[in-house]
Amino acid sequence: MAVLEVRDLVKEYRRGVRANDGISLAVSEGEFVGLLGHNGAGKTTLLDQVVGLAKPTSGSIHVAGRDAVAEPAFARAACAVMPQAQAPLSGITPRQAITTMARIRGADKSRARERTNHLLSALDIEAWADTTGDRLSGGVRRLTAFGMAVVEPGRVVMLDEPTNDVDPVRRRLLWDYIRSLAGDGHAVLLVTHNVNEAERSTDRLVILDAGHVVAEGTPAELRARAEGELRLELTAATPESPLPQIETAGSPRRDGRRITMPITADHAEEALNRAQHLRANGDIEEFALTPVSLEDVYVGLVGTGGSNGDERAGGDGDGTPVSSGDEAEPAGSLVS
Amino acid sequence: MGRPSAAEMRLSRPGHWFRSYGLLLTWSLLRLRSMLVLFTVLQLVLSVSIVLGFAFLMPEVDQQSASYLATGAPTIGVIVVTMVIAPQIIKDDKLNGFFDYQRTLPVPRLATLAADATIWIAVSIPGIIAGLIAAGLRFDLDYRLSPMIAVALPLVAIACIALGYAIVYGLPPGLVSVVSQVLVFFVLLFSPITFPAERLPDWLAAVHAPLPLTYTAQAVRESLMVPAGGISWQPYAMLLLWGAIGLAVASWVMARRR
Repeated sequence: MAVLEVRDLVKEYRRGVRANDGISLAVSEGEFVGLLGHNGAGKTTLLDQVVGLAKPTSGSIHVAGRDAVAEPAFARAACAVMPQAQAPLSGITPRQAITTMARIRGADKSRARERTNHLLSALDIEAWADTTGDRLSGGVRRLTAFGMAVVEPGRVVMLDEPTNDVDPVRRRLLWDYIRSLAGDGHAVLLVTHNVNEAERSTDRLVILDAGHVVAEGTPAELRARAEGELRLELTAATPESPLPQIETAGSPRRDGRRITMPITADHAEEALNRAQHLRANGDIEEFALTPVSLEDVYVGLVGTGGSNGDERAGGDGDGTPVSSGDEAEPAGSLVS
Repeated sequence: MGRPSAAEMRLSRPGHWFRSYGLLLTWSLLRLRSMLVLFTVLQLVLSVSIVLGFAFLMPEVDQQSASYLATGAPTIGVIVVTMVIAPQIIKDDKLNGFFDYQRTLPVPRLATLAADATIWIAVSIPGIIAGLIAAGLRFDLDYRLSPMIAVALPLVAIACIALGYAIVYGLPPGLVSVVSQVLVFFVLLFSPITFPAERLPDWLAAVHAPLPLTYTAQAVRESLMVPAGGISWQPYAMLLLWGAIGLAVASWVMARRR
């Protein structure tokens, strides 16, 4: 049963900006859904409407079968939210912040203490548990904000970019923890830019662009939409080297020294031979054949010219990776 | 998952309002504790300074002037904390997203307002006492306390903090600083708080007639030094009205959905 159900949601702000333009999505109990999209795609606006910070122009939102627009107080009791903004923790320690939020979200004293200790240990931040916020690193503050939301998770957990600023090791702990929340039966909706991480952990992904759902499905279903089945990646000697020609591959995309092109499995052997030859000639330094990544699909769907230009650094607007994660690596290399 | 958890049940019980109030009070105390000592001292110094400093401006301090200074100083202290300092702090919360964060918590919005208001009112108390003691020592005053002091002081504090919230919630952050700065000068120099309204030009006295500032001072003054004709009810009515307006604006903004 869908715990969070959003139907035909439209949010138009007074200045005429349509932040959500007919969004429908559902998250069931025990399901972990990732919401992907550029800045300005409408992700945060969607979350704001679920907890009653913003009012839909039209459409409906139901939480556990009840109308969240008509009963915002119920929606707030049933949903735990971690906002995108950094939690102001000056003067407060992670332990105090998480324990107090557990109590505010309805836990009794002993459960609040127990859950706080569990979280501090699961996220490996016990060393800073009693350090006040002004002396904490951005990552620990972010993890504390995460703890403040999930310590008493409610039926729906909504997380807005929880992994920002978090180091790679604790990032994994964080993803594991989110996974376990879904395992415990909570409906989890997570907003992220990190396509690769989302691909590994979520059950289903919803991709938003300019207020619309442009694609939805399991990571495997979304990957299947890609042109070709594989991706050939070449590393040129210099960013200025001429584009190597591989006849059987699709149109190449260039990002500095990195050149990628889609390719079907039938042509893989031929293309690999050609790549070997290019390397032997010194035209390229390295090559790899990898399965198509979800990031490729994502970029294909929302384009590099998405709703907001902030994400794009490349002058030619082509081939710039969209992921903000620092763990962006191919899902698994076949050859190198 | 189909059924509500123990925590969710607790959020819908009758005692939820008071439980939330208590927890939010703890939360605000934790957040603000480092600043609270500073504000308390600041307000205490302000209150005492008005009593001692304003006396230098007057060649001779008669009984009437002394009574205005003695009761006006703590009133100004309360106004400064609730309508100047508190809005500045809450303005930062609005800018850094904490205001919205609070609004996503499963607590009654009025409990959030009440918890914060309690803290700001508590900060004012030492200054009120210190101002009164300083005036008593400096001017050799006879306080004629009325039991109405137990109504007047809380009412003044609640009306002022409600207006403070209305200022910070109702205005854009940039304007909050300007308004609260201007308010300090207006309250200190151009409001009949530390001096009788008769000393103001007629037009300025007329401006003050519908505003709450005069009444904050009058309510405090008359309950500390009961006049021969007894305590007038008008300040209480005006403070109730202004407090209600402030609260209405603040709770409307709290509950408003963009």
